[in-house]
Amino acid sequence: MTALRIVQLYPVLLGVTGDRGNVDVLAQRARRAGLDVTIDSVSPGDDLPDADIIVLGNGPLSALRSVVDDLRDREPALRAHLERGGVILAIGGGAELLGSRIGVLDGDDLDGIGLLPYRVDRSRDRRVGYIVAEAPEGRIVGFEDHASVYRLADGAGPYAQVTAGKGGVPYADGRAGEGVRVRNAFALNVQGPLLPLNAWFADLLLAEAASAAGLSYERSGELDLVDGYADGARAAIEERATKHFTAIDL
Amino acid sequence: MSKGSSGIRYVPAIAAGKAVRVATRLRGGGSAFPGYLTNRLAPSLLATLAEGFQDGIVFVLGSNGKTTTTHMVSEILRAHGLKVFTNPTGANLPQGVTSALLADATLTGKVKADVAVLEVDEAYAADLADILHPRVIIALNVQVDQLYRFYETERVADMMLDAATRASVAVVVNRDDPYLSKIDESSLAAPVAFFGASRELVAQSAHGLVNAADTRSGNAGVADREATAEVVALDGRDVSVQLPEVRVDLTIPARGLHYAVDAAAATAAVAALLGSRFRTDATAQGFSRMAPAYGRGELVPLRPGRTDEQVEFVMFKNGPSLQLNLDALESAPERLLMAIDEGTPDVSWLYDVDLDKLDHVDVVTGEKAYQLATRLAYAGIPIGLVEPDMERAVQHMRALPTTTSGRQTWFVNYELMMIGRRLLGHGDQEVARR
Ligand SMILES: [Zn+2]
Repeated sequence: MTALRIVQLYPVLLGVTGDRGNVDVLAQRARRAGLDVTIDSVSPGDDLPDADIIVLGNGPLSALRSVVDDLRDREPALRAHLERGGVILAIGGGAELLGSRIGVLDGDDLDGIGLLPYRVDRSRDRRVGYIVAEAPEGRIVGFEDHASVYRLADGAGPYAQVTAGKGGVPYADGRAGEGVRVRNAFALNVQGPLLPLNAWFADLLLAEAASAAGLSYERSGELDLVDGYADGARAAIEERATKHFTAIDL
Repeated sequence: MSKGSSGIRYVPAIAAGKAVRVATRLRGGGSAFPGYLTNRLAPSLLATLAEGFQDGIVFVLGSNGKTTTTHMVSEILRAHGLKVFTNPTGANLPQGVTSALLADATLTGKVKADVAVLEVDEAYAADLADILHPRVIIALNVQVDQLYRFYETERVADMMLDAATRASVAVVVNRDDPYLSKIDESSLAAPVAFFGASRELVAQSAHGLVNAADTRSGNAGVADREATAEVVALDGRDVSVQLPEVRVDLTIPARGLHYAVDAAAATAAVAALLGSRFRTDATAQGFSRMAPAYGRGELVPLRPGRTDEQVEFVMFKNGPSLQLNLDALESAPERLLMAIDEGTPDVSWLYDVDLDKLDHVDVVTGEKAYQLATRLAYAGIPIGLVEPDMERAVQHMRALPTTTSGRQTWFVNYELMMIGRRLLGHGDQEVARR
């Protein structure tokens, strides 16, 4: 039987916000659905194995600078992966690298790899606290902690509309948005990490990846317990994010 | 960076409603703290107080272990016959240090102690050092911690390295830390003394010392450094620290490689400060007198008026401290409560912690109980009860059958440790280190 192949890029340098949790959730949900799963870690200089899902995590600017050349060399492979219907999940700093440029406040700007249609500018104000945002397929709940504003290229729009919290991807009319989706590439600032708190989102990624790989994914009922806990976490976060002053402000 | 004098203010709407983390200025911009002092005090008062310590001042900096190490240094110095001033647990911001000094000062502006041992918040360490002129600065470790506050871990490293240039007698640095081991000795006014654990002990520890990877130099790991104070043996709470000439055998107040490394740091710092007056017997005696610090291996009776069952509080504040405390467990706790509330804003790091040490959790509590429960469930750890309300969780823990070990283990963040202690009737014993 063919396995669902998950690859995490730069887990040592880009993985400061529980990013391995996203990988683990994808793997566990896929296995419970009866799929075989492989997980590979790729560091700078390593070969990129064939993948169905590629996860790129969060890290500081120095880490972005140290991996960007390696990532740029992989741009054709990542583009081909997307064209095959493959999934990319990129969070925080890793997501910023996939755009055209990262404008920084001090020091030299950093050229991204230009895979996705945005540039990101680091901002003085930090956006920290719980976030809730409505995406076409469901409600995203999590924690944001970033100082970045995405500028989308013409024709591109945010993935989700923010209903509590700040978000980093504003709509053209100024409304708060969060995330970018292009094909099956998803770029977001949402931590927590994202996938344990948003089981529907994990299932969306798995269904897309499985379908592109000629497999099928169906959520297993064995996940009822953990998803029930996640529902409790979502309810607590939504309650706090919308009814209380969000935790941190500049 | 030029963040000006803006700061992050964090207002936790926690049940206790007490723990307010005071605004912090981000280093590198305008100098808010000296301004704060100038506005409120005679500008030279703090410096004058500092000059009164004939054996000088020791700063303790680090992501984890500041409180423990400050306690250790203080007790070793006391065992050498010195009168020690130290700031109360957690009062490590300038306001806390200042008010502690003022509280102890006589009207003529003198604190009646030979030496001051101060736990100092990294963000203020360099500014405070400019005023207080510490002889010895200990830099314990740089771990991924409070990203919502510091943004990037390397900035915390720079804060410590910057402060270290102000020490006049010694800089005591962790050689097992990727950032700190790369300290530029030519930038310093004082010699460096490295401390650490032997390669074997670090390798035996399930997750090493959990110090942050160096993301900027091209070498994520440590620079190779010779330790002048090295933990060479560790058995429970018994520790041997090898110094250049002698080996010191110690009993530390709580289990764990990280505490043993803190002990090596404390020993190295006192040896540097006292020079020929340093004695190994007094050092061992200092450790033997130490009681476990607040929330670090401390035992509190579970039920009032009964001593048959104790609660061991284990406090964590971030991924590294949770990991190190889990690694220090001898076996899976027989009866376990885990608690996190909004005092810990971002808990993404729960997924970076390996929870294999646990075989079940009896009660998960705190405002973030369901976030923690989700993590535990993905780790395959069975949970007895998820009860976000700490008071009801404590009632449940009290109602469970008595353990054969006579001990429950409560892993708690700082805020819920305070609440948990209060619920057990031990609330207001804020531990002064004397
Ligand atoms: Zn510690």
